[in-house]
Amino acid sequence: MEIRLHGRGGQGGVTCAKILATTYARLGKHVQTFGDYAGERSGAPVRAYTRVEDRPITNRNKVYRPDHLIVLDQNLLGADTIEGLRTGGDLLLNTPRPMEELNGQFPAYRLAAVDATAIARRHGIGTRSVVIVNTTIAGAFARLREIPLPVLEAAYRALGLLSNFPAAREAYEAVQVRQATDACAAPAAGTAPAARPPVEPVEAHVESPPTGLRTGTWSSQRPRYVEHLAPCNAWCPAGNDVVGFVQAVAVRGEEAAAAVLAKSSPLPGTCGRVCPAPCMEGCNRAEYDGAVNIRGIERWISDHAPAPSRAAPAGLRPLSIAVVGGGPAGLAAAHSLALLGHRARVFEGERELGGILVTGIPAYRLPRDVVRREVARILDLGVEARCGEFLSAERLREIAREHDGLVLATGLQAPRPAGVRGDHLAGVEQGIAFLHRVNLGEGARLEGRVVVLGGGNTAMDCARSALRLGAARVTVAYRRTRQEMPAIREEIEEAEREGVEILLQRQPVGFRGNGRLQSVDLAEVDMGEPDASGRRRPVVTARVASLACDRALLALGQSADRGFLPPGWELRGQQVFEDGRPLPAFAAGDFATGDGTVAHAIGSGRRAATLLLRALGRELELFERPERSLAVPATDIRFDHFERRAAAPDRHVGESVHAGSFGEVALGLPDGLESHRCFSCGHCTHCDTCLVYCPEGVVRRAGPDYDLDYAYCKGCGICVHECPRSGMEMSTP
Amino acid sequence: MPAERDGDEHAVTAELLSANHAAATAAALAGRANRAGRGFGGGVYPITPQSECIELLCRQEIEKGRIVRVESEHSAMAVCMGFSLAGARAFTASSSNGLAYMAENVFAAAMYRLPIVMMAVNRTLGPPWNIWVDHGDTLMLRDSGWIQFYCEDNQEVLDTILLAYRLAEDARVLLPALVCQDAFVLSHTMAQTEVPDQAAVDRFLPPLDLPHRLRDRAVTVGGLDLPHETEVHRRQLEDALRRVPSVHAECQTAFEQVFGRRPADAVVPYRMEDARIAVVSMGTTAATVRRAVDEARAGGQPVGGLRVRMFRPFPELQLAHALAGIERIAVLDRDISLGHGGVLWSELRGAAPRGALVQNYVLGLGGGDIRPEHVSWVIDDLRARCAAGAPEMMEVA
Repeated sequence: MEIRLHGRGGQGGVTCAKILATTYARLGKHVQTFGDYAGERSGAPVRAYTRVEDRPITNRNKVYRPDHLIVLDQNLLGADTIEGLRTGGDLLLNTPRPMEELNGQFPAYRLAAVDATAIARRHGIGTRSVVIVNTTIAGAFARLREIPLPVLEAAYRALGLLSNFPAAREAYEAVQVRQATDACAAPAAGTAPAARPPVEPVEAHVESPPTGLRTGTWSSQRPRYVEHLAPCNAWCPAGNDVVGFVQAVAVRGEEAAAAVLAKSSPLPGTCGRVCPAPCMEGCNRAEYDGAVNIRGIERWISDHAPAPSRAAPAGLRPLSIAVVGGGPAGLAAAHSLALLGHRARVFEGERELGGILVTGIPAYRLPRDVVRREVARILDLGVEARCGEFLSAERLREIAREHDGLVLATGLQAPRPAGVRGDHLAGVEQGIAFLHRVNLGEGARLEGRVVVLGGGNTAMDCARSALRLGAARVTVAYRRTRQEMPAIREEIEEAEREGVEILLQRQPVGFRGNGRLQSVDLAEVDMGEPDASGRRRPVVTARVASLACDRALLALGQSADRGFLPPGWELRGQQVFEDGRPLPAFAAGDFATGDGTVAHAIGSGRRAATLLLRALGRELELFERPERSLAVPATDIRFDHFERRAAAPDRHVGESVHAGSFGEVALGLPDGLESHRCFSCGHCTHCDTCLVYCPEGVVRRAGPDYDLDYAYCKGCGICVHECPRSGMEMSTP
Repeated sequence: MPAERDGDEHAVTAELLSANHAAATAAALAGRANRAGRGFGGGVYPITPQSECIELLCRQEIEKGRIVRVESEHSAMAVCMGFSLAGARAFTASSSNGLAYMAENVFAAAMYRLPIVMMAVNRTLGPPWNIWVDHGDTLMLRDSGWIQFYCEDNQEVLDTILLAYRLAEDARVLLPALVCQDAFVLSHTMAQTEVPDQAAVDRFLPPLDLPHRLRDRAVTVGGLDLPHETEVHRRQLEDALRRVPSVHAECQTAFEQVFGRRPADAVVPYRMEDARIAVVSMGTTAATVRRAVDEARAGGQPVGGLRVRMFRPFPELQLAHALAGIERIAVLDRDISLGHGGVLWSELRGAAPRGALVQNYVLGLGGGDIRPEHVSWVIDDLRARCAAGAPEMMEVA
């Protein structure tokens, strides 16, 4: 019995023939197997052969009269492929087409069809760029020749291919067979071999390389340039084009980068200082030599680029929208609306816009002039500000009537009380109220010992502000472990560097004092089983110690105060309903979600703006945060194309904190060079790697981009495999 | 399927091996067999289609063995000479242009009388580059003083390497040996191959004791030969090669005693008993010739086949004996000595019976698949001739 396989270089035809030979050897047959060599460059048509006899095999020729034929790529199927196949022999085809579509074809042979490519892809067999079908289709052939599965499995084991056997078994089950229907339809046996190309004299070769061999016909898959989602973009809660602005600063400078940022974020100077930077958590460079300091780059751009100029958008009648709340979410919503040509009017209870940026975050982290600069740029877009009025329910109804739509972004106004004995004592104060006083310049000097209760950013802000206001000693007590502290890691480190003490696994169970606070009772906490959020549940013990103090600041979290909503109004998701009817009003930021960072607030504000415009009948794309799982994984980045270089850290002022000094502590990056460390995941940088590696020379520069000459691209996938940043992919033409 | 003879002292196992892997397996077995002597070593450099052989060899655990990966074939042979001069059993493998680059040291190995065994995969010399079989590469080395074997199947490759060590290391010979196999047709074709166990190989290949190996006294190796010394050394080399046929016969017998099968003779006849026409060839072409001979015999034609397995020393006597009474001889050459004709034909003419018509056919150059139809055409052409003509250059690809 002689079996001939037709495939393409890279599909593994020779290994498939080897599997068959090994299988028949286990059945006690004499076998011989070999391939055509040297033409087996990826994508080139190649053949492989297996002979099976009851007696020792002496034939050393190739197979010209096969009993059975296996075709690994249906595009190879042609007269010269089936040439010599015995009438009634098996013709096994790898094809996605169902048998019904093939029924009229090849009546002289027993036709079998299986979609080995799909099966192999499902089982993840092959490389990142190319699926390999050999081990799969051998299963289908075993079914045709009635080879028992255990014998086949033993052959896979012997060849070290056992991990591919499930795919073979699936093909064994899935193969469809149609009997030969017309024995006379076979081409006459013994047809003359196809005419050979002439051998040209040496002097005839004047072209280099010969252009006659259109290797493009070899390809079953084609490379193309395609943008993939960068992890930084996937992780940014604000929906910033992070890779876009980082690459822009690297290639085109700060001004271009600022323009990219301005499309999505009204607060780059703020985020460049206070964002916990989830983008850096997702950054693929973290798997190599440390995440790119994206936050530092954002700050660098914002601090060094002039205000981006924007052309006023033309279009439909502008809508007039009231934004209630001038914090980051409200500002982001107003910014979005203004960019789309609408009139946004922001109502803010405090004297100036900024919300938590001015009332909550201390100036040593976020200088006021940065916030004022950003607010001024938002107002320059035509956004109107109405400050100094906290709205009543009645006034809110009135505002709603006066505008086409409403965005509610009032943040978290209701701090969580300690809820324990003695929390009414003088000296026990809510942290945000304390920060509010301090930040609006109403702060007094502190003395003695201050205890801050909580482990988030508010707690750190309270503690560090207290130090600056003259407290002799500041202690933070948090009920869980350090790993679970919600505050930004750098904030915790900074606080400790400045002298803040941190007591872990302590929960306040009472305050003592005679009218005025004298001490707080802290119970030790044991860590129990993980709760629904995956964090271990704190178990308060009876081991209580008293800590003498003069002031306790509560930073135990806040919740949204919805008391100002008119009666009958309620929130469903982000939309406001009145007595069950939807209103053109949407909530944003902490008021809606409680996610708690400026970046989340920006994303939420942008989404609220688009939701509102759609509710008002405007057609536009809804702002959605991308799905993180779709981002380019680090395993798709070719690290060896990049030189190792540590991340540039932010600079800081000296370590000592002078009482009363709220000057900025972090100084950011000295320049924008950190942007050159960006891998540009999923985004072509025109680095020429594809051009350099293409063995066929089909990649050419075409203006700023590349042209692929598919007439000569044989689909080897090397360009895709070598692309340092996953800016290409293979696809079926 | 070859039977496994359990409990038999000739126990063998049949494995599905390419001839490249069969060669590496044989080299490793021979190497381990010298563990009681001065060990085993070789310098290796990869070249298609030999690479799989040395890749497998480099992965072998060999007690007192060391494979050195060098930067060129020239150095590969130099390393082998070093090992061999130090008394180790030495092996390397190469092919085609690699052999051409190695050539200077190939000659040196024979001049130094070192029983190195080299496996060569026959591949067409380039440029233009061609990786497929023809015999021009090793025939280029026919004057180097090496013993040359051309194999027909995977088993023969394995067996001949073991046999070649015994022959080369015999004190009456002390010459290197080249074991050739056809590119891809053997090197990359997998077939069941019986692999002997180490104990049997140990019995067949006693530890090497090279009489002139380097010891504790400093000597100059390959200094200067004056004319008369050269005359003597060349005569010694020639005498040693002349002794090969009789030593080879002893080795065949010893091999059969240990492994239970007899390696083929220097010349292998097929249905020659009453033949008047002979088709002579080397390597795997001989298997194809047998199928054409069967067909011709079925048609009543008195045709036989003759395979030249040992090309150096040239088996002139055996050929003369086998060709006695033959009237027409077709010599199939998968090689060409440009400006003259096939190398086998050129040498065989001296061994042909007086008056026989000896016609040369050059075919299968660059790996063309020689099929039985081509050999049948040769037989028809030969029968129709009144006289021999110039070498017939065929196109079979």
